[in-house]
Amino acid sequence: MSVLRPLDKLPGLNTATILLVGTEDALLQQLADAMLKEDCASELKVHLAKSLPLPSSVTRPRIDLIMFVVNLHSKYSLRNVEESLHHVDATFFLGKVGFLATGAGRESHCSVHRNTVVKLAHTYRSPLLFCDLEVEGFRATMAQRLVRMLQICAGHVPGLSALNLLSLLRSSENPSLEDL
Amino acid sequence: MEKQSEDPAAAEPASSGEEGGEGGPPQVAGAQAACPEDRVSLLLRLRAQTKQQLLEYKSMIDANEEKTPEQMMQEKQIEAKIEDQEAEIEEVKIAVEMKKLALDSVLMDHMKHVLKLNKLIMKSQQESWDLEEKLLDVRKKRLQLKQASESKLLEIQTEKNKQKDDLDSMENSDKIKTIQQNLQMEIQITTVIQHVFQNLILGSKANWAEDSAFKETVLQLEKNLTMI
Repeated sequence: MSVLRPLDKLPGLNTATILLVGTEDALLQQLADAMLKEDCASELKVHLAKSLPLPSSVTRPRIDLIMFVVNLHSKYSLRNVEESLHHVDATFFLGKVGFLATGAGRESHCSVHRNTVVKLAHTYRSPLLFCDLEVEGFRATMAQRLVRMLQICAGHVPGLSALNLLSLLRSSENPSLEDL
Repeated sequence: MEKQSEDPAAAEPASSGEEGGEGGPPQVAGAQAACPEDRVSLLLRLRAQTKQQLLEYKSMIDANEEKTPEQMMQEKQIEAKIEDQEAEIEEVKIAVEMKKLALDSVLMDHMKHVLKLNKLIMKSQQESWDLEEKLLDVRKKRLQLKQASESKLLEIQTEKNKQKDDLDSMENSDKIKTIQQNLQMEIQITTVIQHVFQNLILGSKANWAEDSAFKETVLQLEKNLTMI
């Protein structure tokens, strides 16, 4: 059982790698394509995985950002993500992990309550993003955001680190968590 | 449940932009087809990136050196501790921002000072330029006056020369000659008359020194008329 650690490998030059973990293959693939289409000065690498742990047979570069994609329509995806979280080293949660909740647009299909995901993100002290990955426009916007986050987490933005970003993102979230 | 699959097809090393030198080919620092400016900018970016990444690794090392509490604390305590630390971070960030603002204000002061000095310099330069202009004007006037006086003196000289010429020419005219001749003749005649009267008076052996009027007449006869 291998645990993902953030800084166990040296970074590739001008390369940033993101790992998308989630059960929705099609959505992940579309998001990955959208991200790769983005304008970015650094090279992007997108890895997709259904769940952790990742097979150790494959050599992969250092992972800079992990996004756990939870589909609010299926409890299974939530459980999958929760179990995958055990295989991530604690140091990853210092700004290099994020949660992405999709499917919130169609309230009637949601079997996972919004607050559940919010609490999950709060427990792991990581940012939570909401996005309907099925809608093309929202997906493109989210891809832009993810690319920017990835650049920061990979250290390609001078003066801004993953921890910085975390506290920046946190200060806008906190008011909503008071009512939990 | 636990599918240990990783999509191999998804591990695309394709980068995003087709523009620029560093987009297309999957080589990272390659970009051999790029022009030197792109290369330099790429190198600068890589340098900034490497710096940032080094900073992250260093801070991780420093963080790992801190001792973590060995005993198992209750979850509430852990949460409370976490929140304390987060508050600390916020305070430090605010302090940094304040310092940046203070530095900026000091910078602002300096810049304002520099601006003031620049304005003063410009004013002084303008004044000195005006004064130089005035000096130039005065010098020009002086030159003009000198030239005018030179011409006037020249005029005077020519006038004098003309007068002298006139005088000289006058002297050579005939009228003057005849008048001169007459004058000479009259002088001679008068001299002869003087001599005659002198001899008459001397011949008469009269004492002419006694009478003042007589004396005066005799002395008058002595006057040499050619000297007049």
